[in-house]
Amino acid sequence: MKIFSKMSKGIATLLVALFTFMSVQAPVMAAMVTTEQLAYEQHTETQRDALRDFFSRDDVAAQLAERGVDVNAAQDRVGSLTAAEVAALHQQIDDLPAGEGLGVVIGIIVIFMLLDIAGVTDIFPGI
Amino acid sequence: MQFCSFRLLKSVLAVLLTGALAGCVGAPQSAALLASWDVQALPLHSPILLDNVPFFAQDEYQCGPAALATVLVADGVEVTPEELVDQVYVPARQGSLQIEMLAAPRRMGRLSYPLLPELQQVLDEVASGRPVLVMQNLGLERFPQWHYAVVVGYDLDRGELTLRSGLIRDYRVSMRVFERTWSRAGRWAFVAVTPGEIPVSANEQSYFQAVTAFQGAASAVDSQAAYAAGLARWPQSLELAMGQANLVYDSGDPQRTRDLYLDIVARHPQSAAAHNNLAQMLLETGDLDLAEEHARRAVALGGTFSDVYAETLQAIRQEAADR
Repeated sequence: MKIFSKMSKGIATLLVALFTFMSVQAPVMAAMVTTEQLAYEQHTETQRDALRDFFSRDDVAAQLAERGVDVNAAQDRVGSLTAAEVAALHQQIDDLPAGEGLGVVIGIIVIFMLLDIAGVTDIFPGI
Repeated sequence: MQFCSFRLLKSVLAVLLTGALAGCVGAPQSAALLASWDVQALPLHSPILLDNVPFFAQDEYQCGPAALATVLVADGVEVTPEELVDQVYVPARQGSLQIEMLAAPRRMGRLSYPLLPELQQVLDEVASGRPVLVMQNLGLERFPQWHYAVVVGYDLDRGELTLRSGLIRDYRVSMRVFERTWSRAGRWAFVAVTPGEIPVSANEQSYFQAVTAFQGAASAVDSQAAYAAGLARWPQSLELAMGQANLVYDSGDPQRTRDLYLDIVARHPQSAAAHNNLAQMLLETGDLDLAEEHARRAVALGGTFSDVYAETLQAIRQEAADR
């Protein structure tokens, strides 16, 4: 598959980042919801909103459509991402130089969706 | 990573900039601001110059400590750039990291508030009397020359900003040029404020984030002042109210925390986290029936911290069974 041949260093980095995040992010059980937890959640939701805005962009929608991904499906997916996933994807988008590399990020997102569907990974539990 | 030193770069840039760059990089925010100013659609006073802000001529590479001392001394902290070198200067990088620049004021009892990447916010802060610490890339994307400076004034008629920068006390630079160098450093800017004060351009979410970061390094009194000011400005903020209540809890006062959470739950009945924390306070103060009611409410509402809610409910039932 052409899409898999495009797996690049960026994807490897993202995977490492994701798994690192997931391994350290297990919340400490406490009876109180702490201020740090509230701040982390708020931060995640702010980033999630930024991802939603990203998927609302015309150029992004076009790229997704080119790869056969429905924009509404992508938007739904954003809603079900965990904090670690949101952070990892947001980082990718944040690092985008203006007007460059969009295809790579979209490629990463699509590959993750495909791998999840194929049962290779379980990064997007909503699928 | 090269920081602050201009010498080498200037000769290289003089050649590169004139040919390659002229006209190909925009400064959209400056253009929009200046256009609005021309048609008198900007509610800003101009010119503004914060002449009392001190100036610390930087030693080579040490623009970070110098810029930091500038904003801190302007806000009444007694400190010198030399004292800040250990805190923020990384010799291997010949410069200072942004995260350290934000952390250092917190250790000196000042709240670091990062601005949105908007030139308008920089001007608003300066107009309110607050110098703004900015990061610039004076070089090119590929040959970065990182630099920290402090914006202390602007003149919209001339389209200029005034910076404390490097060895120049009043460095007047065209807004468009500044915007380009600032954009190449991610439009990064922050202000340092006394706890209890709120930057004019602050929004509720960013302020809460700034206070939680501050809290880790600050005294309880300073943190409490920051929460109180935030709640005075945004009385409906659930996060600020809970942060304040949790701080009271940390001081070892479950009764007062319970009272604060009773009020929070009344204002935010849909907040599972608030119900949970109230339940925990009721458990600690011995009101098990009411505690169970709120714990069940938290569990029913669910959400990110549903594991915590389940545990709270279990602890309450355990306590009831033990009695």
